[in-house]
Amino acid sequence: MFDVTISDNGEILLSGRFDASQVEKAKSIFNKIEKSSTVDFKDLEYISSAGLGVLLMTQKRLNESGQRLKLINMNKHIWDVFHYAGFNNIFEIE
Amino acid sequence: MEKKFKRDVKSLDKIFDYINHFVLTSQLDDSISFSIKFVVEELFTNMIKYNVGHENDILISLKKNGQHVVVELVDYDVEPFDLTKVGDLDITKPLERREVGGLGIHLVKKMVDRINYEYENRTCRITVFKNLG
Repeated sequence: MFDVTISDNGEILLSGRFDASQVEKAKSIFNKIEKSSTVDFKDLEYISSAGLGVLLMTQKRLNESGQRLKLINMNKHIWDVFHYAGFNNIFEIE
Repeated sequence: MEKKFKRDVKSLDKIFDYINHFVLTSQLDDSISFSIKFVVEELFTNMIKYNVGHENDILISLKKNGQHVVVELVDYDVEPFDLTKVGDLDITKPLERREVGGLGIHLVKKMVDRINYEYENRTCRITVFKNLG
């Protein structure tokens, strides 16, 4: 089960398993983001390259207008994936 | 254990259930479980994406063999594509020049200890080895 929601303070909350079957659901939220935002990974258990692709495309689009995503509260396994991908160089990760 | 899955991204739910059962019965830790799920998803979705034009199911085999886990995916009646010969991805490129393509294979190579590719009689067999501990 994967879910993506926007909290009252504008943070994007991810939960569950972000696999290739969830790309369209995720895009329905990420494609609407137009300013710098925080993405909270606290309840996200898993992400694959399909999920990384959604984040990368969003970051590239936002970067064109000087905006960016900040990613927080990743578990260790997801943190490893981001580092293997070199995404720690293109995202602010807390 | 081995099982065939319909070549559809919607099969991922059943594939993750299948992996969870293997992880539980083999008493594997969270880290190995994450790696197996990641590798199987990337290889499976790659096969769907690049081996088009037929509807053959994809076989996924999972084994705990001594001090490593062996994951094997077999795709039938396909053209050859040796992922072990794909060049390394440059992960130092700036954001503007980063692309999504190739990321999955790059990450699979980072996560496992060995990958074998075999192609015979239009059958593609990819075997990955993940050391335990």
